Amino acid sequence: MSRKPITRRDFLKVAAAAPLAGAMIPALHGAAPAGADKVRVVLVRDPSPLGTGGAPPAEVVQKMLDDGVRALLGETDVVKAWKSLIRPDDVVGIKTNAWRYIPTTAEVEQAIKRRVMDAGVGEDRIAIDDRGVLRNPVFQKATALVNARPMRSHHWSGVGSLIKNYIMFTPQPSAWHGDTCADLAAIWDLPAVKGKTRLNVLVMFTPLFHGVGPHHYAKEYTWEYKGLIISRDPVAADATGLRILQAKRKEHFGDDRPLQMTPHHIPLADTRHHLGVSDPGRIELIKLGWSEGILI
Amino acid sequence: MCASEKPDARRLASYIPPTIGPWLSEADQSFDAETVFDYIDGAGEVYRSYNMRLLIARRFHKDGRPDIVVDAFDMGASADAFGVFTHDLDGEDAGIGQGSTYKAGLLSFWKDRYFLSVYAEEETAETRAAVLDLGRRIAEAIPGRGEPPALLKLLPVDGLEARTNRFFHTASVLNYHYFVADANILLLGPETDAVLAAYGGKEDRSHLLIVSYGDGAAAGRAAESFRRVYMPDAGGKPAVRTENGRWTAARAAGRYCAVVFDAISAETAVARLEAVERSIASARGSSP
Repeated sequence: MSRKPITRRDFLKVAAAAPLAGAMIPALHGAAPAGADKVRVVLVRDPSPLGTGGAPPAEVVQKMLDDGVRALLGETDVVKAWKSLIRPDDVVGIKTNAWRYIPTTAEVEQAIKRRVMDAGVGEDRIAIDDRGVLRNPVFQKATALVNARPMRSHHWSGVGSLIKNYIMFTPQPSAWHGDTCADLAAIWDLPAVKGKTRLNVLVMFTPLFHGVGPHHYAKEYTWEYKGLIISRDPVAADATGLRILQAKRKEHFGDDRPLQMTPHHIPLADTRHHLGVSDPGRIELIKLGWSEGILI
Repeated sequence: MCASEKPDARRLASYIPPTIGPWLSEADQSFDAETVFDYIDGAGEVYRSYNMRLLIARRFHKDGRPDIVVDAFDMGASADAFGVFTHDLDGEDAGIGQGSTYKAGLLSFWKDRYFLSVYAEEETAETRAAVLDLGRRIAEAIPGRGEPPALLKLLPVDGLEARTNRFFHTASVLNYHYFVADANILLLGPETDAVLAAYGGKEDRSHLLIVSYGDGAAAGRAAESFRRVYMPDAGGKPAVRTENGRWTAARAAGRYCAVVFDAISAETAVARLEAVERSIASARGSSP
């Protein structure tokens, strides 16, 4: 073996400082360097009732996205904020997620598309797609990507995450399943996506915190969190979403029960692939809006 | 049913009724170990790790009611059907097939070489009744019965919580149930069989892992690998005290490697390994 394996005993060593469920992140993969800059993540929530599609009303989603992007970029004018992310000559792919039970939602997709158009991009140079991205002519020419998907527990990777959302840019997604999807972050080095992501939106309207059966879904294990997590850093956004999922599991099960598969692709995206920041100590988390049941 | 028999999609589909109450079935979908990802994404890796041969998926639909989905897996052998069933044992025993659980709209059961999932996309009183009825009818249609893995017979009975026994082949599945290491330090793989069992109650819960390898040399290498990585501080002793104050011990015996985790004392850990050795000797003695 090229490096010393991490064993259960290593988790037990840090268990006093952090529960097993979350101990994997910084304690085992190395502490953040002193003085390291923090990465900004915005969590925005709204208590409005969800529609049958699982999203708040379109105007509420637009406001959540706008408030989140403004706070993320420190900009009061939302169009100006988007113009700092997207150029008028960009070709923009909005990478969504069409999972039957908890999709990204049309409300989030359209809210993003609206602002991309406000930034000056013609509608003919914008596409929204999931499984068809490799065949989609707009994605094939894309100069900019906006990554948007819901967070949920996942039967093999631990969680369906922003990092994982780009697996459809590979011709054989199953080739990335090894070691329960440890190296998903390497997908972000592929030419189709490398350096193109301008914004990440982790949809937390009705997250799934536990799965059952081949389809890994039971409505009983979702709840109405009604949030969006927005960041330039997909790893930081995923790490924040993961903390919420773990907190919900603890609340529901009454103990610190780890996810069924360890989502080690998130800390490894940081420590092995340097895609972003997973250490909560290095994340500046801005919370906006509804605070009831925020969990973190 | 012979493990080497070619999977028969038509026969497997015939076990599933065309209707259940007001629900009508849609066209079947068929998947193998390569195409299963198209249906259930990465979850397919679980079924592949248990050597799945074929999946017939049938959706039942009735306007105004949640859909019901039947996923019928031909696992090729009853040991693997049992094994994949033990992957998720959460739920109440539904008394269907050769082992079953029901929870949150999902019925799982195994019979012969088949593993079945009958799942309502939303649980209501009506879908619960339909799911259980559908499961019973499928189980009754499957003519044969299969044997659980022979490896289970090596588990010492004293203190065993048999309802949580797990059978599997790979390190990923071991870690799913009981995280050991982020590397395959026990040298598990498609050719190994493993059982993980729980012993004791809440206060003295421990786990026993028994792995069957191709031969004694392979088992010896696995035991040495485990001791080197997990028990480097054992100092040549049979058991080591771990960071939670419990004890871990490991031993190779013939083509088996046994590991005790979280025993309350070194003596308890060693005693359980000795019990496994006696089971192995007894099984050898009773073999033709």
